Amino acid sequence: MSEPIVSARDVTKLFGSKTALDGVSADVFPGDIIGVLGKNGAGKTTLLETLLGFSPPNRGSVAVFGEDALAMSAQTKARIGFLPQLDELFGMLNGKQHLAIVSAFHADWDRALVERLIAEWSVPLKQRIDSLSVGERQKLAVLSALGHRPDLLVLDEPVASLDPIARRQFLRQLFAIAENEDRAVLFSSHIVSDLERAANKVWIVKDGRLHWQGYLDTLKESVVRLHIRARSVLPRDLAVPNALATRVDGNTAIATVAQWQPSEADALAKRFDGSLDVESLGLEDIFLELHR
Amino acid sequence: MFVLNPTSGTPIYRQLVEQIRRLIAGGQLAAGTELPSVRELAERHTVNPMTISKAYALLEGEGLLERQRGKPMRVAARRRNQAPLAQRLERLEPAAAELVLAARQLEIGKKELLALVGDEWEKKDV
Repeated sequence: MSEPIVSARDVTKLFGSKTALDGVSADVFPGDIIGVLGKNGAGKTTLLETLLGFSPPNRGSVAVFGEDALAMSAQTKARIGFLPQLDELFGMLNGKQHLAIVSAFHADWDRALVERLIAEWSVPLKQRIDSLSVGERQKLAVLSALGHRPDLLVLDEPVASLDPIARRQFLRQLFAIAENEDRAVLFSSHIVSDLERAANKVWIVKDGRLHWQGYLDTLKESVVRLHIRARSVLPRDLAVPNALATRVDGNTAIATVAQWQPSEADALAKRFDGSLDVESLGLEDIFLELHR
Repeated sequence: MFVLNPTSGTPIYRQLVEQIRRLIAGGQLAAGTELPSVRELAERHTVNPMTISKAYALLEGEGLLERQRGKPMRVAARRRNQAPLAQRLERLEPAAAELVLAARQLEIGKKELLALVGDEWEKKDV
């Protein structure tokens, strides 16, 4: 396997007495498109910013392209593109002036790419930025983050204000970036269906911890809802292996389980002396079940 | 050609694998038919290209598809064009189970359900 682009080990971050990140270890590998999902205040933004070395963790360490995230060389920084949750556009400039300034910081700014995306996404260039709609600002901010074709693109809520058409165009652009197998994308979003389209891996952040990390396909195959129908009344405190939640109602029960193995189905049905239906769950349902 | 639903609990690659298997088993995708390229399919459905590659690679592993140098995947030549009936029926089992479950929830009887399937069969007889 290739070397990770980002490697975090046991990262803990405190804000006063509040633990924002609690022992996070994770890797971003070339070719990954990782979707970061979590409730408001779960620690997504702190996680993304700490991975990029914006501020030192209280414990643990992060390496980016093999360098300490807190002491990256200029060359390494140039390989990163970052879109903060609140954009940092210059309100009194227009889009064209803004991009001229941003591009001046990058030796390898891809003008052709940026111009193509400006046309494709209909980004207004002549209006003052503070008169643009939130969605238009967001498009401009995304362009600013990826115009230098970064090898690592980190986006904090990039699409919240984009319309469905713009979001699809944006996702296709992420694929084009990750198609080059030396690159990776890490993005947080509350738009779960976008994560399901784009991400090969998912990180679910809960209370400052990476509650779940891995392949999206694996997550969908391992968290399922079981519909149990027994011949006799089931005990109220029915024990289902790896259950996240169980609801018993007479001789039927519904249980959401993690680490599901299809091979367990027959044995389980026999144990309950009944039948078992397995319902697969979309990412949104899984997210809700993991937050019960 | 394919129906992919990203928000379904069934991973996208498996949806694609199942559909291609069915189409090949049913003979709609004949040996030698070229499939859309990974990029084309990923673009059309706005899904991660890796997902499409994964499905194609799996089907290649099963011997249903074959890779051609610098050209799209194609349906592999097989001894018989169609899988045995039992095998094709097996592919329908999950869909049948789902249909029966929905019918039971709606308290629709077996007779009415079969009549509905019959009507649908006539409608879709293309």
